[in-house]
Amino acid sequence: MSLIVLNGITKIFNRGRPDEFTALSDVSLEIEPRGLAVFRGPSGSGKTTLLSIVGCMAKPSAGRVLVKGREVTSLPDRFLTDIRRHTFGFIFQQLHLVRGISALENVILPAYPSGEGLASLRERGVRLLDLLGLAHRADTNVEWLSGGEAQRVAIARALINEPAIVIADEPTAHLDTKLSLDFMAAMERLKAEGKTILFASHDPLVYESTMVDRVLEMRDGRIVAERRAS
Amino acid sequence: MIVSPAVIALMLGSAAVGLLALYASAWGVRILRHWDLRSGSESQLQLEKRTYLVSTLMAWAFAFQVGSLFLFIFTAEDLHRLFVGAMCAAGTLNVNEFGYPTILLKVGNALLAGIWLIVNYTDNRASDYPLIRKKYAFLLVITPLLLAEAVLQGAYFAGLKANVITSCCGSLFGAEAQGPVSSLVGLPAGPMRAALIASLSITFASGLLFRSGRVRAGGLFSVSSLAAFFISIAALVSYISPYIYELPTHHCPFCILQREYSYIGYFFYASLLGGAIPGAAVGVLLPFRGIGCLQGVLPPVLRRLTFASLFLYFLFSLLVVYSISFSALIVEMD
Amino acid sequence: MNWIDKQRNIVDFALSSLLRRWRKNLALLCVYTFVVFIVASVVFFAEALKRDACLVLEGAPDVVVQRLIAGRHDLISSGHMEKLARITGVSDVKGRLWAYYFEPSVGANYTMVVTEEAAGRPGTVAIGAGVSRTLLAGQGDLIAFRGHDGAYVSLEVARVFPSSSELVSADLVEISEEDFRALFGLPEGIYTDLTLRVRNPKETVVVADKIRRLLPDTRPILREEILRTYEALFDWRGGIVLAIFAGAALAFIIFAWDKATSLTLEERREIGILKAVGWETSEVIVMKSWEGIVISLTAFLLGLVLAYVHVFFTSGTLFEPVLKGWAVLYPRFQPVPFIDPYQVATLFFLTVVPYTVATVIPSWGAATIDPDTIMRQ
Repeated sequence: MSLIVLNGITKIFNRGRPDEFTALSDVSLEIEPRGLAVFRGPSGSGKTTLLSIVGCMAKPSAGRVLVKGREVTSLPDRFLTDIRRHTFGFIFQQLHLVRGISALENVILPAYPSGEGLASLRERGVRLLDLLGLAHRADTNVEWLSGGEAQRVAIARALINEPAIVIADEPTAHLDTKLSLDFMAAMERLKAEGKTILFASHDPLVYESTMVDRVLEMRDGRIVAERRAS
Repeated sequence: MIVSPAVIALMLGSAAVGLLALYASAWGVRILRHWDLRSGSESQLQLEKRTYLVSTLMAWAFAFQVGSLFLFIFTAEDLHRLFVGAMCAAGTLNVNEFGYPTILLKVGNALLAGIWLIVNYTDNRASDYPLIRKKYAFLLVITPLLLAEAVLQGAYFAGLKANVITSCCGSLFGAEAQGPVSSLVGLPAGPMRAALIASLSITFASGLLFRSGRVRAGGLFSVSSLAAFFISIAALVSYISPYIYELPTHHCPFCILQREYSYIGYFFYASLLGGAIPGAAVGVLLPFRGIGCLQGVLPPVLRRLTFASLFLYFLFSLLVVYSISFSALIVEMD
Repeated sequence: MNWIDKQRNIVDFALSSLLRRWRKNLALLCVYTFVVFIVASVVFFAEALKRDACLVLEGAPDVVVQRLIAGRHDLISSGHMEKLARITGVSDVKGRLWAYYFEPSVGANYTMVVTEEAAGRPGTVAIGAGVSRTLLAGQGDLIAFRGHDGAYVSLEVARVFPSSSELVSADLVEISEEDFRALFGLPEGIYTDLTLRVRNPKETVVVADKIRRLLPDTRPILREEILRTYEALFDWRGGIVLAIFAGAALAFIIFAWDKATSLTLEERREIGILKAVGWETSEVIVMKSWEGIVISLTAFLLGLVLAYVHVFFTSGTLFEPVLKGWAVLYPRFQPVPFIDPYQVATLFFLTVVPYTVATVIPSWGAATIDPDTIMRQ
């Protein structure tokens, strides 16, 4: 069974206004469990919009999204959020860590509303940071972290709710080659654990990597080509 | 017009609740007219966001409403010294014709607002807003009542005139305070006790039946829990309060709120309101148990509501038994 | 319980979020505390005055009978006393002597009363602390009073009233009956007014009615009436002062609104992050509400404590003049501390409700930022 099915997804921003524009038009797509898929294309091609719709962050203007067989487009926000936080982990282009609090607090932030006790949350957070070799920085404020460390905090945060799918938008845009390779190595481990990984990227280092199973070429809000690793 | 800080606070509170409800209703009307869950349009997304606002506004309005109910009683109690013939809040409320309507409306609105919040909570549990039109229509009913309460309360306070020395002789010899309370006082203690025991027993029995799965008992439970609320208040006046005051002739439903009686009245009224609101909400929600997506959601909610109602009525019963058995007063039942 | 843990986590984040923006929140807290302080001071002070006045009146006679001539208070003769004593239920009919005395040297009006205490020691007076202060006269000093015939009478100060009851005794001069009659030239058998006790308090109204019919040229004044008047007066003054401060409150609401609406970019970004990583709108609203509750309760408690100190330990220095009014002889009023849940509930409504109403819509606005906005930055 496909993990995610997109059926005729169209997303139009500012509909009915002079600045109306169509970010996605009639995109259909299936994503199988396990494996790494990359959406590739120039900026403005609709990669980010597609990821945010796949990740239940935004609703499409038309079309349907099924997550694990469940239709989610017509769900109220609170149910969508519930599905999102148990299914997806997000790594953003700008990382978007909350400044002024420690690395560990950033990592466990997504799990606060779950109602898990802070003590056990912290324990899980430290374990995640430890896996990424960052346990010694757990209590450091995120402003004092290096770029690579911040990147790993963002990865740990994406994993705290034990999602089946990890979504990353241009993850290597602000990283040098070494850090980018580190990042890909971390993703490889996740893939080995059986997680599904979705990237939007136009970095060859990402989409030409041997661990990528599927590359989807996007342009003007459509998927124009697809390449699968054999 | 009496301008005491508490009066200003109450007017402010009512104005705030009225404004919140009015604003919520304005969105309620738009939601009623334009709601379309299937549509992914911007305006539908905006409306969906507004439902959060309305929920939040109403939650605060309800909190203020309950607070202002008690503050109102407290104020009436405090002002009684200003009026000849008023021994406590019962007399103050009777100073003009708006007093008792105001407090009745306040109690009614607190009940309605509580029920609304429960309906809203239930609706939000289900995945497709099955009750959205009904709850916003309900909101449009509550709002005018809340506004009417603010107006009545304003009229009540505006109509209060304290006696000052210069006009004392003229006002001295007015009639003694008499209100609806005095008719409750007249209710005989024996039958009142029987009614109280009966209504509470029916509530407990039907509530337990309902919880154990007999859906039909739900309606009876809801009606009896609401009836128990009113019977309990009448019983408080006619039959229980003399035990608390340890005076066979004192029947005031308000004095029990005072420090002298260790504020026991707050526990009485809070447990009664807390018992009646979920009890009544069960009756409101019960007809919707057939709606598709509520089938999974409603039963646990109803069970919890029933439990809450039964628990608080149980607390109330304990308080009553405690007050009567530890009272120095012994009343012969006729 | 899951729900409690959830709230605890959210509170935890709300607190850390408040502390991270301590500059802005401290400013808000200061203004908020100040408003609570002002409003609470007014309410406490008015209530303290009321209680003090009531306390003093507790010992007052049940009924005072005054004679009226052409609508003005006039002296009453002992003939009225006998008629009053015959009314059933009435006991203890006494004549009272009191007067106002204007002292031009300090521009103050004293209240002179004849009491049983002073009757035993002619030639002396007992004075209130206010009189003592203005005349710089202590125990053992001589005070000269100008009589009705222009001659001065010197009386010795036997004692100064303690300042605890100053609100009512500040301008008091207690004098013996002989000295009083000599000073004002009053013949025997004439009194300022009459007092009487009514054995059964419930009969006071009936007795007053009888007095009016029996002695049509008098008016009975009931202690209850005076109590009521005091209550209304102080409530009214408190209300007026509050109304004046409503301006301050309005400014505060605007301030609170502004603080709550003008989310900094950083705050917007933070809420965006919360939404993006999986917080739900209502959870963000709850978080914002906790922030508001923490600010409100802190400001409320701080303001309350400050007002308590202001009113009960520094005698309400800031607005004594407005609330107490009258006379050169400012009593140095030391109110008896009290804490009454009724006042606290009133204050809570006066301060926390407007703040909450002003901030609820902006909080909602912040909480409904779309989660995908963060993806587009």
